[in-house]
Amino acid sequence: MKGSRPLALALVVLAVIFAIAAVFFFTVKTTFLTTGTHPAVHWKHAIVFAVLAVLSLVAANFARPKAAVR
Amino acid sequence: MLSAGLILFLAALQGVTELFPVSSLGHAVVVPPLIGLNFRETDPAFVPVLTVLHLGTAGALLFLYRRDWARIIVGFFRAAVRGRIDDPDQRLAIMLVVGTVPAGIIGLLLQDPLKTLFGNPRLASVFLIVNGGILFAAEMFRRRDERRRAAAEPAHAALVHEDGDPRFARVEGLSLRTTLFVGIFQAGALLPGISRSGITMAAGLVAGLRHEEAARFSFLLATPIILAAGLLEVPSLGTDSPTALVAIGAAIVAGVVAYASARFLLRYLRSGRLDPFAYYCAALGAAGLVFIH
Repeated sequence: MKGSRPLALALVVLAVIFAIAAVFFFTVKTTFLTTGTHPAVHWKHAIVFAVLAVLSLVAANFARPKAAVR
Repeated sequence: MLSAGLILFLAALQGVTELFPVSSLGHAVVVPPLIGLNFRETDPAFVPVLTVLHLGTAGALLFLYRRDWARIIVGFFRAAVRGRIDDPDQRLAIMLVVGTVPAGIIGLLLQDPLKTLFGNPRLASVFLIVNGGILFAAEMFRRRDERRRAAAEPAHAALVHEDGDPRFARVEGLSLRTTLFVGIFQAGALLPGISRSGITMAAGLVAGLRHEEAARFSFLLATPIILAAGLLEVPSLGTDSPTALVAIGAAIVAGVVAYASARFLLRYLRSGRLDPFAYYCAALGAAGLVFIH
């Protein structure tokens, strides 16, 4: 696979967004993107977004252009 | 509050049905009212009990495939750091990530709304019949595929089953796109009556895997989901939870029965098909519709 710098950059941006979402759900009491009616810290959502942030970085590493192997 | 005897019964039921393609959740919803057990799925202790049982089942799967998981974990970190896939273990690791993430996200988003279905055994009975239809359809497609391949390669037509047959693939031969679709369809198992292992085995068969490999693929894909489902609920265990002794006993029962079930299924699928499970699901679903009011 040749790799794509724009795709890798997009995945890094996505990773940052997921990381911000993880921090948000860890620290803020909210009902955003949840089924609950009372604001609460949704640590399950936080863990999922943290995992998605890491996986997006891994995907970015796969997508980046690699130096040719000699 | 659920009695210790009922929890151990549910543990054995979960151990058998979680890995067989017959829906453990569907059984937990349909079987107790069908045999007259005094138990409601809306009981506050039901989810904590399921959590403990999931941990037992996940432990059994990790033990069953302990060597595979050691290679998969090492393979994932090597592939992630290098940014490329160099060997089949690394490929399998990335496939499991690709197959698990969509199911995990959809599961997290839909888990709570779908919990209301746990109290509806008749609806679960309908989904059990649908699950039987999925298994039956997968075997129907597989038979058609076998006939087509046998016609194309008469040299292999004499093989009565695909074990050792080069026409059918191992898990590592699946494409990442196929794995992604399987991962999305896995979320269907949130519906009580639709089996996670059934969907993944059916998808594996349609994608050209051998039966035994389809089961291996299903079990490997199920492990992170079942483990996460258990671990994520642990902090929620409250006063409705079973006592520690009963919880440990239930997890062990679920784990031992799940291990034996998985070994049996892998051995059976060397020469057997999913049809008996399809007929069983259809029969149980029909019984639920007839006898549960």
